[in-house]
Amino acid sequence: MKRSRRILAFACSFALSAVGLMIWSLFDPRPIPVVVAMSVGQVLGTLSLLAFAYVVVADWRALTRAKETKEFVAPDKTTTP
Amino acid sequence: MATLHPTPLTFIALVCAALSAGILLFYLVRRPPLTLATKIALFLGLGVFPIGVAAAGNVEGFQATEKREFCGSCHVMVPHATDSNDRMSLSLSSRHARNKLFGGDNCYMCHADYGMYGTVMTKIGGMRHVWLYYTQYRTMPIEEAKNTIHLRQPFPNDNCMQCHSTEDLIWLKLPDHKAALEDVRADRVSCASSGCHGLAHPNFLPVSPGLSQGEAR
Repeated sequence: MKRSRRILAFACSFALSAVGLMIWSLFDPRPIPVVVAMSVGQVLGTLSLLAFAYVVVADWRALTRAKETKEFVAPDKTTTP
Repeated sequence: MATLHPTPLTFIALVCAALSAGILLFYLVRRPPLTLATKIALFLGLGVFPIGVAAAGNVEGFQATEKREFCGSCHVMVPHATDSNDRMSLSLSSRHARNKLFGGDNCYMCHADYGMYGTVMTKIGGMRHVWLYYTQYRTMPIEEAKNTIHLRQPFPNDNCMQCHSTEDLIWLKLPDHKAALEDVRADRVSCASSGCHGLAHPNFLPVSPGLSQGEAR
């Protein structure tokens, strides 16, 4: 859980930087801002989205695993006299 | 410094950026538990809105790269841009800049390659220009740049023929055009040579210094 939160914090920071770079290129459309926005900005944005997807999938898997463990434990409880 | 040109796309990009930044900053400051609502909000803040910014920003960015202001933002191109802006100049570039169909995009309109992959090849060539500028010409004085910077290849007549098709009867009425028709179409005579319409940009080397004016067409 702690790891997920850390990854999400990084993802948010990356996405904020990416959005910042893209907006910079709109306000200052010169070669370097435009090239940086279309390369670094988009790489950072994509990485942040992938990190978010990773956290969501990891969370979903953890929940599924927890459910399975519960279901596995439950029949034992019912059979116990 | 080039300025912001407010368009609907700029507005969309700014709104998406503001919404995304709001969500992300809220998450970073408050750190709420990872519930379904948080996930949906983060999906918007990390996915939907940044993609909106990127899409609108890309279109705006590509359009910005076609502006004369963009080309003239590298100091070595300032004489070209200034000449294009000069309403009194009789150079080819300036005369085309005064044409409403070219206007502020006149650098791109003339230099973009014609053909199916013209846009892509032109953008790749533009990346090469950016690289060369930052590695070789960034600190070069303009006077030196005038004698150093040149076209990599002779300017193709195909680019002129996008508009001046050489099929037009009025164009063909001119004896010089009629006489040079095959040579113009075959790129053996350049429209922008000193014997014809003159150099497109004054005071600059037309092509690679190894080639003479005649060879350069």
